[in-house]
Amino acid sequence: MIRVEQVDKTYHTGDSVVRALRNVSMHIPDGQFISIAGPSGSGKTTLLNLIGCIDSVDKGEIWIDDKAVSTLGKHGKTEFRRSHLGFIFQTYNLIPVLTAYENVAFVLSILSVPEEEIKERTLRILEEVGLKGMEQRRPDKLSGGQQQRIAIARALIKHPKIVLADEPTANLDSKTGKEILALMKQMNQRYGTTFVFSTHDQMVMDYAGRLVQLHDGQIVSDDSRSTQ
Amino acid sequence: MKFIISLAFKNLTRYKRRTIITAIAIAIGLMMYIIVDSMLMGAEAESMRNLRWYETASIRIMNTDYWNDRLSFPLDEGIQHPDKIIEVLQKNGYAATSRIQFFADMILYGEDFGEDGNIPALVTAIDTESDNDVFRFEHTLVKGTFLDPDRHEAVIGSWFAEDIGAELGYHITLLARGKGGFFEAIDVKIVGIVNCPNPNVNRSLLMVPIQLIDDYLAMEKTVTEINIALSDRADINEEIEKVKQLVDPIEKNMTIVGWEELAQDFLAIAEAKRGGTSIILLLVFIIAAVGISNTMLMAIYERIRELGMMRALGMSDSQIRLTFILEAGGIGLIGSIIGVLLGVLANIPMVVYGFNFSFMLRDMDIGYRIQSIMHGSWNPISILVAFLSGFILSMVSAWIPTRRALKMDIPKCLQYR
Repeated sequence: MIRVEQVDKTYHTGDSVVRALRNVSMHIPDGQFISIAGPSGSGKTTLLNLIGCIDSVDKGEIWIDDKAVSTLGKHGKTEFRRSHLGFIFQTYNLIPVLTAYENVAFVLSILSVPEEEIKERTLRILEEVGLKGMEQRRPDKLSGGQQQRIAIARALIKHPKIVLADEPTANLDSKTGKEILALMKQMNQRYGTTFVFSTHDQMVMDYAGRLVQLHDGQIVSDDSRSTQ
Repeated sequence: MKFIISLAFKNLTRYKRRTIITAIAIAIGLMMYIIVDSMLMGAEAESMRNLRWYETASIRIMNTDYWNDRLSFPLDEGIQHPDKIIEVLQKNGYAATSRIQFFADMILYGEDFGEDGNIPALVTAIDTESDNDVFRFEHTLVKGTFLDPDRHEAVIGSWFAEDIGAELGYHITLLARGKGGFFEAIDVKIVGIVNCPNPNVNRSLLMVPIQLIDDYLAMEKTVTEINIALSDRADINEEIEKVKQLVDPIEKNMTIVGWEELAQDFLAIAEAKRGGTSIILLLVFIIAAVGISNTMLMAIYERIRELGMMRALGMSDSQIRLTFILEAGGIGLIGSIIGVLLGVLANIPMVVYGFNFSFMLRDMDIGYRIQSIMHGSWNPISILVAFLSGFILSMVSAWIPTRRALKMDIPKCLQYR
């Protein structure tokens, strides 16, 4: 369960002040497939960053299960992200000098998982995301869709409670985007992982089990719907 | 840890050209350092040998009053019983010889030299029987013969001979004050020319037989110094103490000094030059540090989003820092290995054949007692220090750019363009 309680976030850039989030509150039960939508500058990435413990709230609190993550220090947040959160980025952010296998396996390496287990889990997750046989390829030898599949495998390999995806299909064509969404949905159902993703793409919004719309840093709508 | 090492190593291949250029800069710096250090060390070792063989011997015994007033060469303050001291020293296994050093006005005649003239000269009167046990002039004779103790003869350094236009058979007169202060003129004929490897000596050497000077300057069997030769590995201070024990019962008020005290000008220059090597090493390090720091800064800022991703996925700052430090260490290691290899290869001909500096050393005193060929020497500690410094400094140089990048917020890293 994610609880966002009356969160404010303001950015100061030179003389200008941007109120990215204003008094935002929401609850996300475990296992949801939720989309945070809104135009550019609406605060969706900021909300994702705050839930993902990579940014700090100015006011309010964020709870994940029974932990007030917004009050954790730098080290505590790093530990929490390492153990409980997965991330998928718009630009994949894969390490180009590593193979598909290594890009996924390193997540377990930093968790000090035994070598044998890393191998077994990495090969299995790569197979699940449809990359069997491509384990030794480097990202530049793979398509955008395949690279995003690596990113999904990387996010899921540690069995996180929550996966946060910032515009995961923005760099993909619609067909590949649909495949990626289907894959994410499949993983959500298989592992019960909560998926929170930001988007301004209508197709993605349609795919979500719940759609939260942001505008100027405030929630303007929050709909639960049946998914495709 | 395995992942971090593997990533650091793979990142080295990411920008091959940049890695190679930085490594080459480090390598050239280290190679230069190894060569310069080798030449200076070689020159220093050779100079020390030439000092002991041709200038100072290993140990010198003098009357304390003579030592205190040594710049004016006071013949009145000589050693009273040189024969007894030498006898005791020789009985105890020391190679020793006595000498008289004095200043004279050297008169040159137009008949031989083309025109009349005079120049001041430092004259060394030697015991022709024992001098070669301590000094090594016998092997440096290039023209004529060595001194006959019973004749009015002189042997002169080749550069000195060149400078005054002296040839074998030329006559000169030495005008000097004898013991007691009277003036005496001594006529001698140049019978030999030595080419001594010690340029300071070769520029000024004028040797005559000690018997001649004892007679003309009324030295009454006294001498100004007794010189002792020791093996290269002898502990000078220990030997000085032993010699003191032997000399003390024969004659009081003696000062016994080692060659280092007699060659303080050289040691000061050698130390200054060692300081120069340290500056070279410092410059090498600055070049390496700037090169590595710049390379790492570029590498880090090109990978800032990747760095944001790694931090978002839970890699700690210390793990990320270690990745970059190991990467920089890899560049430093490549540079240091190449640098040491090139340095060692370039040093081989320097050690075996040396470099001929005679064109420069003939007319210039650079402080070293080397006349022509400067040989390099092997200095494993310097090579090791250079290698480790190149490697360690490279890692240290990655610290600042990494620290700067890690200060950026993760969202800023992820959005970095």
